[in-house]
Parts: sequence; C-alpha cells; structure tokens
Amino acid sequence: MKNTVKVERAKKDMTQQDLADKIGVSRQTINSIEAGKYVPSTVLALKIGRVFQTPLELIFELEEGD
Amino acid sequence: MKNDDLLYVPMLERKWRPLSFLFFPLPVVIVIVLALLQVGLSPDNAAEIIYGSWAVGFTLLNLTKEKIEDEMVKTFRLQAFQTGFFWLMCGLVAIMVVNYLRFEDIRQEIFSAPLVLFLLNGYVFAAFEYQKWKASKEL
Repeated sequence: MKNTVKVERAKKDMTQQDLADKIGVSRQTINSIEAGKYVPSTVLALKIGRVFQTPLELIFELEEGD
Repeated sequence: MKNDDLLYVPMLERKWRPLSFLFFPLPVVIVIVLALLQVGLSPDNAAEIIYGSWAVGFTLLNLTKEKIEDEMVKTFRLQAFQTGFFWLMCGLVAIMVVNYLRFEDIRQEIFSAPLVLFLLNGYVFAAFEYQKWKASKEL
C-alpha cells in the first residue's frame, strides 16, 4: 500500500518524532510506515488522518497485489 | 476495541530485561563449578541445566515490554511467535527423521522439555529481533 505520510508531514512541517508523539507510537513505526515496510491498522491510519485533517483515501492508496 | 481478558498476555516491565541476561552465563558457571567439585554430573544433565537456564532467559526476554509498546511491536511479536513455532516444528521433524534414519528407532528420547523450550524461545527471540533490525534500517 502506497502512502503520502511523508508529504503530509512535510506540509505540516512536522518531524517523524512529532507525528509519533501525537499518535502514540515510536518514531521507528512512522519511519516504517513511510517506507512502506509496515501497513498501519485502521485505528492508527485514522489517527494519522486526524492529525493531518485529511481523508484517509488521500493518504493511503491500494497498489497492485493488495 | 476491548480485548478478551481470557486472551490477555501480561508483559513484564523493562527492569526484567537485564535480569534475563544473567540466565545465559549462569548455567555455564554452575556446570564448571559442579565439574570442579567432582559431583559426578553427566554431560546429559549438564546440557539440561544449560538448556533450562537459557530457556528461562529467552522466555523472560520474549515476555518483556519494549521501550514503546506500539502496534508495530505487537505485530512483530505475533509474527515472531508464529515464525518461531514454525521453525521449531521444522527443526524437530528434521531431527526425528534423521534420528529414525540413523537408528531406525521411532523413540524420541533425545528431546527434553528444557531443550524444546529453549529452542522455541530462542527462535521466537531471533525472529522478533530480526524484524526489529529490518525496521530500524533507514530508508
């Protein structure tokens, strides 16, 4: 699954640690999500969407094979 | 969403982690001391002492919380237990087959509870640390 978390984070001028603190995960988890190595749960995805005040389908997008 | 209390697994606090590392050198020291005292410890019994202590060490490590217990860590832990169990089954079946082919004996007295617990917890620990290492690599 592709995502634009890194782009959204840059728009808000937030570091990985800032976002991690806001949604209660480690910086490593944010790094893994941005790298596409970890797909967040629905709950975590909703928290990310709430921080960026952006609909989820604009942040996360299904890829071929998903 | 509330989890089922029946399925809840309590995790140990971080202070248990240093303690768990004591269980790795400890049995080696005990076996050496017993050998020096000439108490007649057989090699099999010495191995059981070592396997048992290492099994306790790995169990404590596997049940100790990470610094931040977020959902990725929980996912890694689930995968580690599944992978560890799979590796254990593969290993045990392989040993059973080799044992049968060599000795044509279906009895499996080579397995002891401490050995199986040590292997299972060792594999789970390895699978968990491997996932953490992969995730820690930068982009």
